[in-house]
Formats: sequence, structure tokens, C-alpha cells
Amino acid sequence: MSEVTKKPMITDVFVAGARKGWNIAVTSTVPNVLMAFVVIKALKITGLLDMMGTVFAPVMAVVGLPGEAAAVLMGAWMSMGGAVGVAVSLFDSGHLTGEHLAILAPAIYLMGSQIQYAGRILGVVGTKAKLIPIMIGFSVLNAFIAMFLMNILV
Amino acid sequence: MAGTPLHDRKVSVGSYIALAFAIVFFSGFMKSAEWYGVFDFTTLNGSFGKVVYAVKDTAEGIQASTYTMRGKGGSGARDGFIFAFTLIPTVMFALAMIEVLEHYGALNAARKLLSPLLKPLMGIPGDTGLALIASLQSTDAGASMTRGLIDEGKLKEKEADVFTMFQFSAGATIVNFFSSGAILFTLTNTDGSAAVPASIGLCLIVMFVLKIFGANMMRLYLTMAEKKQANTGVHGEAA
Repeated sequence: MSEVTKKPMITDVFVAGARKGWNIAVTSTVPNVLMAFVVIKALKITGLLDMMGTVFAPVMAVVGLPGEAAAVLMGAWMSMGGAVGVAVSLFDSGHLTGEHLAILAPAIYLMGSQIQYAGRILGVVGTKAKLIPIMIGFSVLNAFIAMFLMNILV
Repeated sequence: MAGTPLHDRKVSVGSYIALAFAIVFFSGFMKSAEWYGVFDFTTLNGSFGKVVYAVKDTAEGIQASTYTMRGKGGSGARDGFIFAFTLIPTVMFALAMIEVLEHYGALNAARKLLSPLLKPLMGIPGDTGLALIASLQSTDAGASMTRGLIDEGKLKEKEADVFTMFQFSAGATIVNFFSSGAILFTLTNTDGSAAVPASIGLCLIVMFVLKIFGANMMRLYLTMAEKKQANTGVHGEAA
């Protein structure tokens, strides 16, 4: 590494950032997306995806989405990257359109990776256990408001 | 996600310029094939070349049908892998740009602008500005800095809960969104036009506003819980 007094070249900074991006992509994006595609394939073969589409249709219709979009939100809760994989997979198969993806994009993050973050954020901060379900509830509420807003905006 | 160490650096004019550039760059305002497209993330991110997947002999001669290199009709783990592979350059480019903008102090400028707003917006002290900006990049950095503020006595329990709620919904917003969500904006329809009718900037604004909204819901909930507790306390004494 260079000395503290020496200013790094801007190209070096860019490359360092790109390297960070590579590490995130390879260790997080690729495995998560791969998992999502496998899950979607399994849901399709078993017919569960169609079932989800019917069951969740009334709820999701409120925010302008088809029932299958529920799969994206369930995936989001476990992993943000995985949810994006699910979303893209459903976009390819024609279950979701570009508009649907725009509606879903902020929501995926607002209620995203919460199982993991319950430990990584709430555990570290030392949040009282009784507040955890409430925080999850508000996050899901945030996600639904986001879909509602995006449905109007796009 | 590895956290970038944030230092309490001096905020210069350059930092504000970097912040303004960051906003324009990811907002999609400058998205264009014209020269000013150089100020737009999606434009500079570009596109993959097409590959031929079928050739037809027609009256006008041989015509080739092309598609993205991912190909058509794939499924399962293998298709997921090839698709994920096409995401890597977007993630690398986005993180590289964030690193450059951060190098020029863009997030530090944001911290300076946000700190005086934290009390009116969420009822938390301006001291939390640094932890807040850190939490947008790394949940771990945000959470450990919050823990530090509590231990130093700079955050009361209620303030800490409100601030934690802010961090918990859309954790590490910037890094997480750019390492996966941003790729949604690279998808195209069959005619090659952009599929998603929104911008990265719009999504970030919606998320940020709702993070603050969620924190305020928590604030409201805690205030109501306090009142209820106070009331039952009084009744208990009367009985």
C-alpha cells in the first residue's frame, strides 16, 4: 500500500472499487442468483408457482402486481440478491413485466435480508427481543408503501 | 459486506461537487446517447453485444436473428449462473464509481448536510450522522457505531431504537442496491429498449424516505408504549 501522504491516483481508486465489486459479485451476487433460479425452477416444476400466483393475486393486485410477485418478496426477506434473481427469472418467463420490476425494486430492499440482519444489526446494537417483530412489521409495511408509491410513480 | 472506514474528515467544496455529481450520475437525468450521457451510470454501463442464434434464408438474402449472449430458453442453476455472470460488470462498475465518489468525500458532504436534519426528521441527535452514513454502506459498520454511541451515552434507549429501525429496513442501502438491484435497470425488452421504467435515483429516494418513515413509526410506537405504561402505572397505584 502507498504512503499516507501520497494521494492515490484516481484510476487506482476506481480499480480498488471495481475489485470490491468483483468480490461482492462473486461471493454474494452469483451464489444468491443461482439459488434463486433453482428455487424458481423447483416452484415451476411442482406447480407451486402457479398456485402462489392464484393465492396471492388479490393481495398483490392492490399494488398493481400479479400473484407470482409474492415469490420475489418472500425471497427478499431471506436474501436481497436472491430476490433480484427471482425477479429476473420471472421477468424472463413473462410472469413479470418491466413495470412490475420497478414497483418491486425498492420493496425488495426495504424488507430484505431481515433474518440475517436481525443478528447483524439488532444483535450488535442490543435491541430488546420484544421489539424485533415490531421492527420486522414496520419493514414489511415500508415495503408495501414503497410498492404502492412506485405503482403510482411508474 | 466489508465496511469502508469512515473518518470524520473535513468537508470541502469538492465534497459537495462530488455529492452533486453522484446524484446526477445515478439519477438517470443525463441518460442519453448524446455526449452528456457521459454523466450517466446506465449509459456508461453500456450493453453486451448480441450473438447470432438462428439464420434464415429469405427472399432478401440471409437474415440472422440475434439475442444476448445468455441465450434463450435456459433454466435452473445453469441459466442462473450465466445470468449472474452478466451482472458482474454492473456490480464492479457501480462499486468502482461509489469508491471514486467516496474518495472525493461525497458521503461526507451528505453527512454534513444531514446532521442538522436528524433531530427534526427522526428525533435523534446530529452526532449520529456519521453512523447513519456508515450504515448506508455497511450494516456492520452502522450497527457497531450505534453500539458505540449507546455505550458513550450519546444515544438514549428510545433514540437508539428509532435509529436502529432506520438501519434495519433496507440495511446497507447503497452497497446492497448497487450490488444487485441496479442490475434490474440493465434488462431490456425484446426490442432492445430498457425494460424498467424507473431510475436508480428514484428507487434510492423512495427507499430513503421510507427508512425515515419507518423510524418515525417506531418513534410513534415507543411514545405510545411509554404513555400506556405510564397510565397502567397510575391505575396500579390507585387500585
